[in-house]
Amino acid sequence: MMNMNRLIVFSRTFRIGQRLLGCHARHAGKEELRLQQRRSIKTHSRHLAYAKDLFLGQVNKAEVFPYPEIGNDELEEIKQLVAPVEKFFSDDVDSAKIDREATIPPETLQGLKDLGLFGIMIPEEYGGLGLSNTIYARLNEIIALDGSIAVTLAAHQAIGLKGILIAGNEAQKQKYLPKLASGEHIAAFCLTEPGSGSDAASIQTRATLSEDGKHYLINGSKIWISNGGMADIMTVFARTEVEVDGVKKDKISAFIVERAFGGITSGKPEDKLGIRGSNTCELSFDNVPVPVENVIGEIGGGFKIAMNILNSGRFSMGSSCAGMIKKLIELTSEYATTRKQFNKSLSEFGMIQEKFAMMALNAFVMESMAYLTAGMMDRPGIPDCSLEAAMVKVFSSEGGWICVSEALQVLGGLGYTKNYPFERFVRDCRILPIFEGTNEILRMYIALTGMQYAGKILTGKIKEMKKGNIGLAIGMVSKKLRASLGASVDLGLTGKDGVVHPSLEDSAKKLEQNVSLFGSTVESLLYRYGKTIVDEQLVLKRVADVLIHIYAMTAVLSRASRSISIGLRNHDHEVLLANTFCNDAFFKNNYWMVQLQKHSPENNDANIKKIAKQVLENRAYICSHPLERTY
Amino acid sequence: MKGSRCLHQLKSLRLLSHAGRLLPPAAAGDNGTLFRPRSSSQLGGLQCAQREVLRHFHSSPACTKGQPARFVQEEDKTRDKSLVTHDDLFEQVAKEAKTKATFNKVIDVYTKGDIRRRGHVEFIYAALKKMPEFGVEKDLTVYNKLLDVFPKEVFVPRNFIQRMFNHYPRQQECGVQVLEQMENYGIMPNIETKVLLVQIFGEKTHPMRKYQRIMYWFPKFKHVNPFPIPEQLPEDPVDLARFSLTRMANEWDAKVTVYQLPCTDVTESGAEVTLPHIVGIQSPGQMEALAKHNPDRPVFVEGPFPLWMRKTCVYYYVLRADPTPPEEKIEEPYDPERCFSYPLQLDLDLDRDLGDDESFDVEDLDEGPVFAMCMTSQGDQATLNQWISGLQESNPILGQIPTLFRLGAGPRELQGVGDADSASRSWFPSHVQREEAHPGEEAEAVVEEAEAVVEEAEAVVEEAEAVVEEAEAVVEEEPRRSQGVKQ
Repeated sequence: MMNMNRLIVFSRTFRIGQRLLGCHARHAGKEELRLQQRRSIKTHSRHLAYAKDLFLGQVNKAEVFPYPEIGNDELEEIKQLVAPVEKFFSDDVDSAKIDREATIPPETLQGLKDLGLFGIMIPEEYGGLGLSNTIYARLNEIIALDGSIAVTLAAHQAIGLKGILIAGNEAQKQKYLPKLASGEHIAAFCLTEPGSGSDAASIQTRATLSEDGKHYLINGSKIWISNGGMADIMTVFARTEVEVDGVKKDKISAFIVERAFGGITSGKPEDKLGIRGSNTCELSFDNVPVPVENVIGEIGGGFKIAMNILNSGRFSMGSSCAGMIKKLIELTSEYATTRKQFNKSLSEFGMIQEKFAMMALNAFVMESMAYLTAGMMDRPGIPDCSLEAAMVKVFSSEGGWICVSEALQVLGGLGYTKNYPFERFVRDCRILPIFEGTNEILRMYIALTGMQYAGKILTGKIKEMKKGNIGLAIGMVSKKLRASLGASVDLGLTGKDGVVHPSLEDSAKKLEQNVSLFGSTVESLLYRYGKTIVDEQLVLKRVADVLIHIYAMTAVLSRASRSISIGLRNHDHEVLLANTFCNDAFFKNNYWMVQLQKHSPENNDANIKKIAKQVLENRAYICSHPLERTY
Repeated sequence: MKGSRCLHQLKSLRLLSHAGRLLPPAAAGDNGTLFRPRSSSQLGGLQCAQREVLRHFHSSPACTKGQPARFVQEEDKTRDKSLVTHDDLFEQVAKEAKTKATFNKVIDVYTKGDIRRRGHVEFIYAALKKMPEFGVEKDLTVYNKLLDVFPKEVFVPRNFIQRMFNHYPRQQECGVQVLEQMENYGIMPNIETKVLLVQIFGEKTHPMRKYQRIMYWFPKFKHVNPFPIPEQLPEDPVDLARFSLTRMANEWDAKVTVYQLPCTDVTESGAEVTLPHIVGIQSPGQMEALAKHNPDRPVFVEGPFPLWMRKTCVYYYVLRADPTPPEEKIEEPYDPERCFSYPLQLDLDLDRDLGDDESFDVEDLDEGPVFAMCMTSQGDQATLNQWISGLQESNPILGQIPTLFRLGAGPRELQGVGDADSASRSWFPSHVQREEAHPGEEAEAVVEEAEAVVEEAEAVVEEAEAVVEEAEAVVEEEPRRSQGVKQ
């Protein structure tokens, strides 16, 4: 609110200034436009997920403060659920054996089914546990201790049956969900094809309506299908002919396909680097008859369904990685405190200490982000948290990879052997930045979604600036001047109506500074590139990275503030972690945003592109060998 | 290291020559062997040998005892009429054989013949001129040997005045010429050359500067060509075609196909039929473009076009089409449901700012796509048709597109004429026609103006299989690869 008022005051002063400059006549016509803009900002800033508003340099604090909580009954539920699952994973799951034999033993699968882990999010009326996203995330912390099981379960319920859950009709739900929830049937998600990853246009699998109009016949093949070898129910995406405005067009549709329909053959399971116990294989469909009532949603509406499924499944990776790192800290800290070198234990060496601090920081940040996002998703209504979920996925998959590798490093040579689980964690972890949308693609999604949102709102303003509106230009300059003179940015996180605990005030100020600078960076990027920013991948990558870190800062501040307020045990440690992370992220963000400025000497993009171009043109490293010839 | 070692040797050589200061400087270079007898002569021992050596100094013919008599006579003759050029010497030898050995022999004769090396500048100029004849123009050792003809130490400036002015300008100029010729033939001097130059002219003289310049630029230029042609081109025509085609297409995925290997068959009637080789190249991108080609518009087989590979000229043919007219170009509309993961386009009304527009204003000239290229030893329509039918196996659309042959005259008119000028212009059909007007050339294979051919051909738009039997357009002569001379 404060901000808004100031804006109005400012624009008034500009108006006076303009009158003095004699631009009044020119300006008068745009009065209305400006009013409209202001109004639109006001209406849009409510009821929106948090991340998009960051692109405008605004902190929508109501969305993320206070840190989401669960009710007491849910808390009870978690306590009841977590203990047996934890016990099962520590006693009955032999991860080394699963990895070695590249298969999950049937008794382990049966144990998972008995615990109800195949239907965590399926509503109770269909026989599932009907748990919220938050509890799903909590359970995933434990499940993630075995990568193979985690992937098997995720392929089953995070993507495999999600289509039926979010877009299926009542009959489909009644028919399929109970058996899927009990684990009697296992689900798979069939989208990827040899020639198509994210490109819907290159999907070749085709569904044609049979002559009697009762069946679709599906032909084609799908690759890298998790659970492909054992799935009984599959969500298959295929091309169908749809008539749009009298013109026949190919559109993607989603189908529920049972293996029992016949005509489905699965290939040999892929031999993978990690998550070896999970089943991944090729599936080919040869005239598979699918009854018309098995179309999910409506025919031709598969694209939206696929997008929704993919977007909704990602948030849990944050808690999975956090769970894994917490386990790794336990495993490695024992070694670090007992192993002695030069009459000192490893834990006394600074470089080893740094690794543990980093693991703790990462686990803390991931956890905070994951449960903040899960909490946002659990709010009533249908909040669009896909941006936040993607950010959690990118941050945790990359942080997870670094932590696992550092944990292995603590053990040195021992960690490299198969006698310890670290090499398996490293291998399993490597899939995280790849599946559920590669991190590169997710960064594009994060940055472009925000850019689209901010662009819609800022277009009018930028056009005015390009036309040479002096009032706006002076406004920009004075804003920059004030920022450079060290005027603090106040977005309302601290102070009178503050939501951040005073012991985190410095960090909150840093977040506010970052957010405000990010807003103006986005504006200048839109000014410079307009819609061609789609082609500036290196710029978008940095935009995404800044946003991810801003979101991470928000999450830790929100969580730590709550922890202090309700007096959680070791909350001082949380404060320490939060302040450390915010400080680190603040400088990283500043650096990236400096790189995003025009003519920035820190920015190496042009050179990077050139190097890559020359290398790729020759398809080789092109420098002559230093020993190639003499003078 | 090597250089410093050489310079060190050089210094010791100088010391040696100081010892024999009284000697004619010309002798100093000869490994110091010559003045040993001299010093012994002062001791008054071994008179006989000494006299011989002394005579050696005064009258050089004595030392040529071991040489074939003919050379001696040559030498005599040259010296008798001192104004006769040294060309004669080379020409005399040239009658026998023009090889490196004989060339070296001439130099040896000269150096051993006259200890004072009279007229060595003229000799070196003459030798430089004769080098290509003897085929030694690219031999570094021969150049070094030639430089060795210069007497050592004599031309090295000894004080600052000499150094300031152009000391022994003719000799320096001659030394520069030797280096110049090396440069022209792309021969890089080695350390021996440097040592010789230092011995002859000293540091910081014109030839030394020239040497330094060559050493500065040569290594930089030697490998500057990103598309080097090997010194020895492949002999086999198929290999040569493969090499030239990949060189032209310069695309990694382009695939070379040999449609027909050259072979000789004897038909039932006993006539010998030589089948020409047909080697073609096509990249996946070209296949894709061809597949999208509108079958109502014809494609053209055009050629022959020349391609120079060092001193060899090869000819190639292209399959191309006219540029698509603007009204037929369809831009693929943006499909918002194309990418599952992120928007491929932003729905914004903002363009790139002018300050960030780093593209250049380049005028686009649509030339029309080239779909494939081929090389064959026989550029007649029947052979090229074979190529097209071979292409059709991987590009089925060619069956629906009318294919027109727009063939110029083969490269055959180059044979007799042999001038590079006509070679470079021959691919313009109009020029070809003009060249054809030479008496003695096959006038019946006259090629009309290209436009006329096209008109005629377009009038007869046929199926691809049908062979266009336009006598004017078809050159029946087997085009042979000509050995043009690069100027």
